[in-house]
Amino acid sequence: MHELPWLLTPPSDFNDRCAALVDSGSLSSDIRALAGYSLTINQSNRLYRTIKKLGDVASGALLKELSGLKLGIVSNSTLDLLVPSMVTSAIRHGVFLDVVTADFDQVAQEAFDPNSMLNQAGLDIVLLALDYRAFPFAANTLATTVENLKASDALEYLNQVREAFNRNSGVNCIVQTMVPPPYSLMGNIDAQVDGLLRKEISDFNSALINIVHKDADILLDVAALASNVGVYNWFDERQWYLSRVPMANVFIPLYTDRIASILGAVRGKSKKCLVLDLDNTIWGGVIGDDGLEGILVGQGNPRGESYLALQQLALELKKHGVILAVCSKNDEQNARQPFREHPDMLLKEDDISVFVANWEDKASNIRYIAETLNIGLDSLVFVDDNAAEREIVRMRVPEVTVPELPKDAALYPRTLAAANYFEMISFTTEDSQRAGQYTQNAKRRELSQSSENIDDFLTSLDMEMTISPFDELGRKRIVQLINKTNQFNLTTQRYTETEVEQFEKSSDVFTMQIRLSDRFGDNGMISALICRQIDKQWEIDSWLMSCRVIKRRVEEAVCDELVQLALKHNIEKIKGVFIPSPKNSLVKTHYQQLGFELEATKGEAEIWVLGTSEYEMKKPPIKISR
Amino acid sequence: MSENKQAILKRLEEIFQDTLAEGDYQFSMDSTSSDIEEWDSLSHIRLLTAIEAEFGIQFDISEIELLSSVSVIVDMIHNKTM
Repeated sequence: MHELPWLLTPPSDFNDRCAALVDSGSLSSDIRALAGYSLTINQSNRLYRTIKKLGDVASGALLKELSGLKLGIVSNSTLDLLVPSMVTSAIRHGVFLDVVTADFDQVAQEAFDPNSMLNQAGLDIVLLALDYRAFPFAANTLATTVENLKASDALEYLNQVREAFNRNSGVNCIVQTMVPPPYSLMGNIDAQVDGLLRKEISDFNSALINIVHKDADILLDVAALASNVGVYNWFDERQWYLSRVPMANVFIPLYTDRIASILGAVRGKSKKCLVLDLDNTIWGGVIGDDGLEGILVGQGNPRGESYLALQQLALELKKHGVILAVCSKNDEQNARQPFREHPDMLLKEDDISVFVANWEDKASNIRYIAETLNIGLDSLVFVDDNAAEREIVRMRVPEVTVPELPKDAALYPRTLAAANYFEMISFTTEDSQRAGQYTQNAKRRELSQSSENIDDFLTSLDMEMTISPFDELGRKRIVQLINKTNQFNLTTQRYTETEVEQFEKSSDVFTMQIRLSDRFGDNGMISALICRQIDKQWEIDSWLMSCRVIKRRVEEAVCDELVQLALKHNIEKIKGVFIPSPKNSLVKTHYQQLGFELEATKGEAEIWVLGTSEYEMKKPPIKISR
Repeated sequence: MSENKQAILKRLEEIFQDTLAEGDYQFSMDSTSSDIEEWDSLSHIRLLTAIEAEFGIQFDISEIELLSSVSVIVDMIHNKTM
């Protein structure tokens, strides 16, 4: 795994391609292409040096496509070998790093002094790259008679360091679990006796994992990484004694890839959707030729079991927020059949948010999947056993991530998992429901594409709208809508929670909160109105709506309702105000389309007016409940 | 110099080119780390890693300290790969 086998091996002309990097229109994509290979430390060093040499020209070009991040690093080890690899790995994860390293072993000094270099550097994140040797209990690893510091003291030290950074420069820290060195003293009892290194490190790691889970700092589980590659391999005593390098050089790319993956997640670059091929990817064989009885998936057959393991991984990912899609060259009925009828299939049709099976080229189908889910192409990961298909997709849709796969399907799950495409920094219940919501959205879009005309489509949605005045229950969401809606917002008036509460209670302010659900699910609260009463007139202070429900005639239903209520309250005129902003040109003709007339302009603002008795009800296909 | 050592020297030169920063240095059996500015402590570590990977050998801790001249490196590689 240390060779990062999901990445392509660098071409033989890698050095020449680095040397050929110049200030040109394609500099950023050229650099990104080179950073996308599985680079040795010499190669990432060469690419890093080239980027540095090109200076502002390179950083300017890269920052147009990547997110910037200023990373500080403190460590008890030599970092210089790691920094180039960190920068090139981060480019691969969508982040261009500006790295500031503290002098060797200056951890406490940098943390506790508010005027330290790191605290003054305007950092986004600090990496505390501390291994077990950074803590006093490492003083003498192989003796039991020396007084050792306990895990709790080591944890206390670490907490003080990271709190100091939080306090002195408002920066969050990435903290590492400790890799226990591979020396056992008395055998299995090492894990059980206080004061022995294995037990202390284990206690430290458990406690650290729990604490960091609850606060804003981020965990880098180096212990897990080293465990994956084998702790005997991880440590290289010679390199530590020679030059204070904390892990065997061969693992530097893997270690920095993990850090880069976290930084990518911080910048929102983690992938969102796993697109799966079918034949010989999630089952053995070709469904079109072998039929339901012939494909291999499941128990009792070694190959079948190995394919099932990939399904298992996909299912687990889905439960934790990853969207699943299918892209297969097959007749659709054939492709769906195993999902519907094969008793050993783990994945069901319901688990797949967008199911594409046809004879079109996969590149177009993948674009369709991204459009249907309404997510960027760069959030997709495409898994296909066929190297030719992988290469075509890489060429035609370069924004999509296509991992290389080993020849042996039994190794697909570990390779895909090691690539860490779906790194999460925190996990909420919304994440576990995400796939389901995307499935709903995808179904809506697919329906809209297949409907004859827009009215049929809208009717087929079975929309239901709930309208009520502002209340305490809806308050937080109302405040969110008021402050975050920019496009469908007639006046862009922003109000605080206190002000919204006052609207609830005020007798001459009339308010509406609007929820919308349809046959695919509940969209939640998607619109809000605030009207002020002045004599026999209502003036619409705020009218806003979520972009998710544009072109559904929601605003017409709201206007019908508004006018009906106005008539009940003996209101003769409704005034609508439009204040143009850089983002709301969408609603320039909103009042005109509803039948209002332009009465006056005040500077940039437009005042539109509607006589309530003259209004023609629009009656869009939306059921209203109050 | 034996044919084997010539071959080793050639492969070693490629490793040096790959590992060290671009520079105007002379590379020969007589070169030492004091002659070549780009051969510093950091590139030394990467050199060792690259040499071990390329030749499939391992230097032990007592040997590493001695590896500051090309002729010593070539001899050591030669001995380990015989």
